[in-house]
Amino acid sequence: MTSTEAGALAPAPTQRKRPIGLLLVAVPVLLVLWLIIWPIISAVIQTLWLPTPDGGRTFSAESYEFFVSDPYSRANLAITLWTTGVCAVLLLVICLPIALYLRFSNSKIAAYVQGLAIFPMFVPSIILSFAFIRVLGPNGTVDLLLNSVGLPKIKSPYLTPWGPVIGLVWDNIPLTVLILLSGLGNVSNQAIEAARDVGAGRFALLWHIILPRISNSILVAISFAVLGIFSAFTLPYVLGPAAPEMMGPFMQRTFRDLFDPTNAITQAVITFGFCIVFGLFYVRSVAKNRTP
Amino acid sequence: MKRRHFLISAAAISAGVTLMPRMTFAAEGVIDVYFTSDQNVIDFWTNVVKPKFEAANSGITLNLVDGGDGPGVAAIGDRALAALASGADPQADLFEGYDTRVNAGAIDKGLFVDFSTAGLSNYSKINPLANDIPTRLPYRGSQVLLAYDTTKLDPANVPKTWADLVTWIKANPGQFIYNRPNKGGSGGNFVRRAIFEANGNDPKKFTVDNFTPEFAEEALTPAWAMLNDLAPSLFENGAYTSGNTQSLQLLGQSAVTMIPAWSDQALSAIQQGVLPETTGLVQLQDLGLPGGFTYIAVLSNGANKDAALKLADFLLTEEIQSAVLTELGGFPGVSWDYVAADLRERFADIIPESIPTFPGGKWETAINDGWYRAVAPNVDPAS
Repeated sequence: MTSTEAGALAPAPTQRKRPIGLLLVAVPVLLVLWLIIWPIISAVIQTLWLPTPDGGRTFSAESYEFFVSDPYSRANLAITLWTTGVCAVLLLVICLPIALYLRFSNSKIAAYVQGLAIFPMFVPSIILSFAFIRVLGPNGTVDLLLNSVGLPKIKSPYLTPWGPVIGLVWDNIPLTVLILLSGLGNVSNQAIEAARDVGAGRFALLWHIILPRISNSILVAISFAVLGIFSAFTLPYVLGPAAPEMMGPFMQRTFRDLFDPTNAITQAVITFGFCIVFGLFYVRSVAKNRTP
Repeated sequence: MKRRHFLISAAAISAGVTLMPRMTFAAEGVIDVYFTSDQNVIDFWTNVVKPKFEAANSGITLNLVDGGDGPGVAAIGDRALAALASGADPQADLFEGYDTRVNAGAIDKGLFVDFSTAGLSNYSKINPLANDIPTRLPYRGSQVLLAYDTTKLDPANVPKTWADLVTWIKANPGQFIYNRPNKGGSGGNFVRRAIFEANGNDPKKFTVDNFTPEFAEEALTPAWAMLNDLAPSLFENGAYTSGNTQSLQLLGQSAVTMIPAWSDQALSAIQQGVLPETTGLVQLQDLGLPGGFTYIAVLSNGANKDAALKLADFLLTEEIQSAVLTELGGFPGVSWDYVAADLRERFADIIPESIPTFPGGKWETAINDGWYRAVAPNVDPAS
């Protein structure tokens, strides 16, 4: 088959396939509309049209005003933002070198490193939490090891804001490494060699050749990590301090222990408001990638 | 990138499986039991109740389902209430550790069996201390007590009153921790004991019906002050574990010397080696840490209602009630006259004349919210 023949044949199937393609897309789109978009709209409606004592409903931003004016709720939002920010920075600092190593190393060890980097994906967070208490908790494995060589105990991060940070970073390493690794696939060996030929150092290589090509992947990786961490539940719940709590445990407690769905949904809408920003980053970068 | 493809498809398949509607119906002769209690109780059912009941009633089997916690099973209760209205199968028969009041209107609509008229042969044996409303059948009791490390604290010097306990905690900073009151009864009842202490140690002062925001404010504020006063002397200058199990873990790792713990959970932990044999247990003598009885409820529209009632009656037999004492480390739900005589003798010292209990309902919400706002944040655990 010559290239002309292929070129002549190509347009026809594309046109015929279009309705099938749309049909295939329709299922996930409808599911998203039904299971995600609609609950969001209904949550916003429920928190803005509050029931009145006489049985009707009236427009009121009361629950949002309460959230904003309540120092306890604000502290919870602040710790969530802090945890998310710290985790995002740490993830980048930890995962970028791993991804670079995996991309450019040809040694056998790389396969083991990759296996190790993916491993957290298979550990449920509740098991991770209790393992964390055993290892990094007070008188845990680390303390025992330090003690055996005569060193003082560590100050355990358990039940402090650093507990969830360490757990969440560990938990999010696989996804971040995989996304960065796929981005690094766009960096061609020729480009690197060409830059080396004109005398670029390691840092210049990273800064001028590699980073510009994977900036999109970094953005996607960070968006994904942030979306997961912002609404994390198990790790902050088991490892974090009683107060301030992250939004996940806070919502759950408001809903199930205080029997206060209106405020719980308000917290959810506010959480969603922050997450949508990162969601838009992701959508924008995907859209940018698609247009030639 | 084969690994990645594998990961993605594996994730998609598992997501698809969980999203698939599950077409299950309650099987004939299989009693679906939902638990709100912790794992040690489910173990007790698996190892003791289930084999004994199935041996005595051939053709009937038990399906034990961990419902997580109260609200988890309450959701099943809501489903059963909806099923009652539509005449559908609720796919559940018996709830363990359940308060039938949580499903609004369910009692009036007759969702739960009224045990007083259900004709249980053992119904009259129930301990009068434990009797609540007729849709709830008490089958075991448990109380919070203090568990401590006898290698670090001589049993002779162990605090026996609230005042002694406070003195001890302050004299030994970092050696005591209790869990967040909404995340498990051991910390929850420790907090409630502080509320009793701040209000003249009179459990009768609080009832489900006498909650008003003003009374709560008046009764709870001094208790929050007491607990805040303790906070700097607690583990890590005021850290609180997120559940009964995590407290036991810290005691087991010798990170703290004393914790409040459920009597049954502490006893099974010692038995299983989660806590060392050198763990001591003590109850305050001025007023015990609160506890309470655990109740079961039977759904009137369950497919196996009659079998479930048979099981309810079976739970009150001397055989199971004695096992509650010996295997579970709890208190019987029946009067002490109906457990084996040698056990009555053996446990004479811990037979409570009364277990102080704290009412639920609105009080529970007020305590949970108040503690988080007034006690939990005052000390920054990161400092």
